Amino acid sequence: MTTHAPPQTTHAAVAAVDLVKVYGSGETAVRALDVVSVGFGRAEFTAIMGSSGSGKSTLMHCLAGLDTATSGRVLLGGTELTGQSDRTLTRVRRERIGFVFQSFNLLPQLTAAQNITLPLDLAGRQPDAELLAHLVRVLGLGDRLNHRPSELSGGQQQRVALARALVARPEVVFADEPTGNLDSRSGAEVLTILRDSVRDLGQTVVMVTHDPIAAAYADRVVLLADGRLAGEIDKPNQVSVTDALRDLAARA
Amino acid sequence: MRATVLRTQTTAVARRPGRLILTGLAILVASFVVFGTVLVQQITERTVRDNLSGTPAVTDLVIGSTDVPPPTVTDVRQIRAVPGVAEAVARVATGVSIGEGYLNLQSDPGTGPLSTVRVIEGTYPDQPGEIAVTPRTAERLGLSVGTTTSGTGGELTTPAPLTVTGVVDTAADAGYDAYAPENAVIAWARLTAVERVDVRVAPGTTAEVVRQRVTAAVTGQPIRTGAEVREAEANAAAEQVGRLFILVAMFVSIAVAAAALVVTSTFRIVFAQRMRQLALLRAVGASRGTLVGALTAEGALTGLVAGVVGVASALTLGYALPAILRATGHAVSSPGLPLAAAVTVVIGAVVITVLAVLAPALSAARVSPLEALRTASTTAGRRGIGALRLASGLFMAVGAILAAAATISQLPEPDQSNYDPVMPLLLLVGSGTLAFFALVALGPLLLRPVLAVVGWPLRQLGPLGRMSVGGIGGAPRRAAAVSVVVALGATLISGVVIGGASLQVLADREMALSAPSDFEVIGNGGTLPPAVVRRAEAARGALARVVPYRKVDDATLLRGADKLGDVESGYPTSDLDLAALPSTGDLDVAQGSLADRGPGRIVLNSWVARDTGLRAGDTATLAVATRRVDVRVVAVLPGDGPLHTGILTDPADLDRLGVPAAYTGLLADAAGTGEDGRTAGVRALRQAIGGSDGVGLAVLADERDRNDALVRTLVWIAVGLVSLTVLIAVVGVGSTTALSVVERVRESGLLRAIGLSRTGLRTMLTVESGLYGLVGATIGLVLGVPYAWLAVQALGIEAPLTAPLLPLAGLFVVLVGLTALAGVLPARRASRVSPVVALGADN
Repeated sequence: MTTHAPPQTTHAAVAAVDLVKVYGSGETAVRALDVVSVGFGRAEFTAIMGSSGSGKSTLMHCLAGLDTATSGRVLLGGTELTGQSDRTLTRVRRERIGFVFQSFNLLPQLTAAQNITLPLDLAGRQPDAELLAHLVRVLGLGDRLNHRPSELSGGQQQRVALARALVARPEVVFADEPTGNLDSRSGAEVLTILRDSVRDLGQTVVMVTHDPIAAAYADRVVLLADGRLAGEIDKPNQVSVTDALRDLAARA
Repeated sequence: MRATVLRTQTTAVARRPGRLILTGLAILVASFVVFGTVLVQQITERTVRDNLSGTPAVTDLVIGSTDVPPPTVTDVRQIRAVPGVAEAVARVATGVSIGEGYLNLQSDPGTGPLSTVRVIEGTYPDQPGEIAVTPRTAERLGLSVGTTTSGTGGELTTPAPLTVTGVVDTAADAGYDAYAPENAVIAWARLTAVERVDVRVAPGTTAEVVRQRVTAAVTGQPIRTGAEVREAEANAAAEQVGRLFILVAMFVSIAVAAAALVVTSTFRIVFAQRMRQLALLRAVGASRGTLVGALTAEGALTGLVAGVVGVASALTLGYALPAILRATGHAVSSPGLPLAAAVTVVIGAVVITVLAVLAPALSAARVSPLEALRTASTTAGRRGIGALRLASGLFMAVGAILAAAATISQLPEPDQSNYDPVMPLLLLVGSGTLAFFALVALGPLLLRPVLAVVGWPLRQLGPLGRMSVGGIGGAPRRAAAVSVVVALGATLISGVVIGGASLQVLADREMALSAPSDFEVIGNGGTLPPAVVRRAEAARGALARVVPYRKVDDATLLRGADKLGDVESGYPTSDLDLAALPSTGDLDVAQGSLADRGPGRIVLNSWVARDTGLRAGDTATLAVATRRVDVRVVAVLPGDGPLHTGILTDPADLDRLGVPAAYTGLLADAAGTGEDGRTAGVRALRQAIGGSDGVGLAVLADERDRNDALVRTLVWIAVGLVSLTVLIAVVGVGSTTALSVVERVRESGLLRAIGLSRTGLRTMLTVESGLYGLVGATIGLVLGVPYAWLAVQALGIEAPLTAPLLPLAGLFVVLVGLTALAGVLPARRASRVSPVVALGADN
């Protein structure tokens, strides 16, 4: 374990270089990200971990082009995201990034099927019928496609959200606490699907979580504390993650 | 507990006063409109009173009234001799025929405080046979200063000369006004009585003393004070204003009802946003009653603030506007300070808001405490409607249909003379009201089918259109509530537009008949000298067309040897060429076709057709004196004929009937437009008439203009009043969009996160807002057009059904545009929020 991971920016799917994000100004200014450099490999399932306020969500928002950093750079593939206009960032999100949220965030007035194809609709693209059929089968949504979110269980809603994130074949899927609102069985299903998408479809997945069980599904864990990188774990398991988190808490 | 719950709701309101205003905006506008109407009525009444141009203010006593025989010339002399009378002015008016025209000769002293005229050119007349005229009269009749004409009037039957000595300015100028001192008028027209005598009392004497002396001098003449007369004149004018405002009040109350509906719907949205919080209060032990109480109190507070702000802004504007208008030279009076009305409006605002808030408050308080534990994003709005609502909605719909059917069964037959429109009209209003409430009740069910139709083109336009339509369809109750108000506005306006168009057609038809051209020249009882027609036809520069005609009054219709109809003297018959005048060229017919006219064919007006029992296609014999011609009826007009002609014939038939070839009159149109063109036309015709005896000239266009202006004014007033409802509907759409944007901030955040651009989001929300208008306008037109047609029929004025497509299409576009515009600001605000903030927002 090193305290300063070497930046793997050149061949990464998405990478942060010297990223700084400051909220507020003057006395009340908070450095949510304090010079963070980190890369996320292609076809890799990475978990970002840390306690509340460690900056893990901010890091994800900046990597995904949802938020703009105060300084530093974000590279998606070879594309510089820093300093881009809202229009460009919107297109990047639409065409190259997929999202899964803690609270599902489906549109209540659309059916499951319409929710899944929404990003493609916005881009004016036709969904890849084969991939769509594959996802629906894998996610077990076949008989739920014409239901509205209010008629689905939490697990089903999150699987619809997964299908929505995956169907456009984005370069990176960002998942923000995807199991936070689910029971352990539904959570396990969702995490298995995420891991399988990396293995079977070559998908890059970056997941923010504070749950060691969830993190154990990832190929690699990046630890954050007080807005700085605090180490990483390759091939994590529940024990190694729990130990690392305990170490972090002890140092604080 | 109760106080705590109330506090949770009121502090929420206090923290966001903007939201409170937004919720109560419709009530604010309604209060503004209601109190504004009160002020406008005061302003109008005071303006009318202050600018009355009747009896001069210095008049102390007025002797004589229309109820008793008028004061004689002797009476006037005696009144003037009464001690204490400083000035006595006899008022009298008499009609004067001056060859080709008409003058209304009125008495006026010309100087002194009791005069109502002001000399602006020449001198005021002082001898019998001298007159002063108004500027328009001078222009129209060619009566410049120094001109001498001759005429008859009053008891004067042989023409006597009249010389114009001056031009005077007066309060009203009809274009045929002449003035002279009373002695000159009385002497010239050989009058023996006047209409009334205005008296000014000398200083140092009281009016009461003079009154008693006058009563003793002239018996049997009622005496009123000048103040009384002025008051009566003012009241008569104000009464007209008051009658107009009864109509205004009707429209304003519709607007208030619309506001109540809008407020109900906005409160429903506001409470829906707070569902979790309310559920939490229920979970920790607040009773339903406590919640209802707290929510209703919030409604009352909203109503109070909205009412006070609305009344205050109306008051500000009501005082500022007349002041500004006065500064720019308009005579407009300021209103008073109607405190009682202000308080009533505020109380009314509170009461209506509380009533409007009850239904949403009751349904919000029914929230299950469990709702607090559910995730917010999964609670979608209810789609259907309850059984009770469905039943009452259907009940009202059936009632509306039955009432409409009853109206149709009572519609008048053509030419039905004893038709009473009151009952069918009442039935129709009842049907319309029921239909509207049925719409309110069944709206959520109707919304999706209507949306499926009108939203179809939008859905083809891509994902944005699909999502906008989906966004509206996803909350059908809310969408229905707002669209119904738009529909109410659209129904009323389309009704006014259609009614106005029908009225215009009716008025055009009437005018085509009574005033088919700008001018008419007639030989009084005889024929026109051929030279007059020739000279008129030569005046191409000033006259666009000259159409001479012959007219006989004693034509009869026979079948075999039997005279048809009951009329002794015969029917007025003319060979006027209908095609030669634009106004008569496209007359509508009740039967047959005007295109079939020609020799041996006649057109009847409705009255002659009824009297003779002839229909289009029948044959008969037309007779003048002993000559006869066989004719066929080719058309029957829906009402009177042009120039009140009963039978229109071909010139050849009149020749065969032995009618002399000389024309009896001619119609002419001015070549130029406006007052100048008309004056040029009058001059040309006067020159054409020259000195011909007994030839008269009438300017028909003046009357037509007055009628046109009247119809137009009525329609505009109605449109203006109905616009109040539209204004409230637009406010409702605006506040609904604004609130639903707040409610759906997470949804906006999600869409932004997964790649909807800022412009895209803005477009989507604006289109959603416009969709409320689209749905409402569609429902409104579908209801409004048939109802307007029924109403026009039920009036029994035999107006045709019209579908003014262009105005209706324009109305549709404007409504959709306005409602879309109402969504622009909320949409801009929503699109500015960063997706991170939006996603993190707690509902």
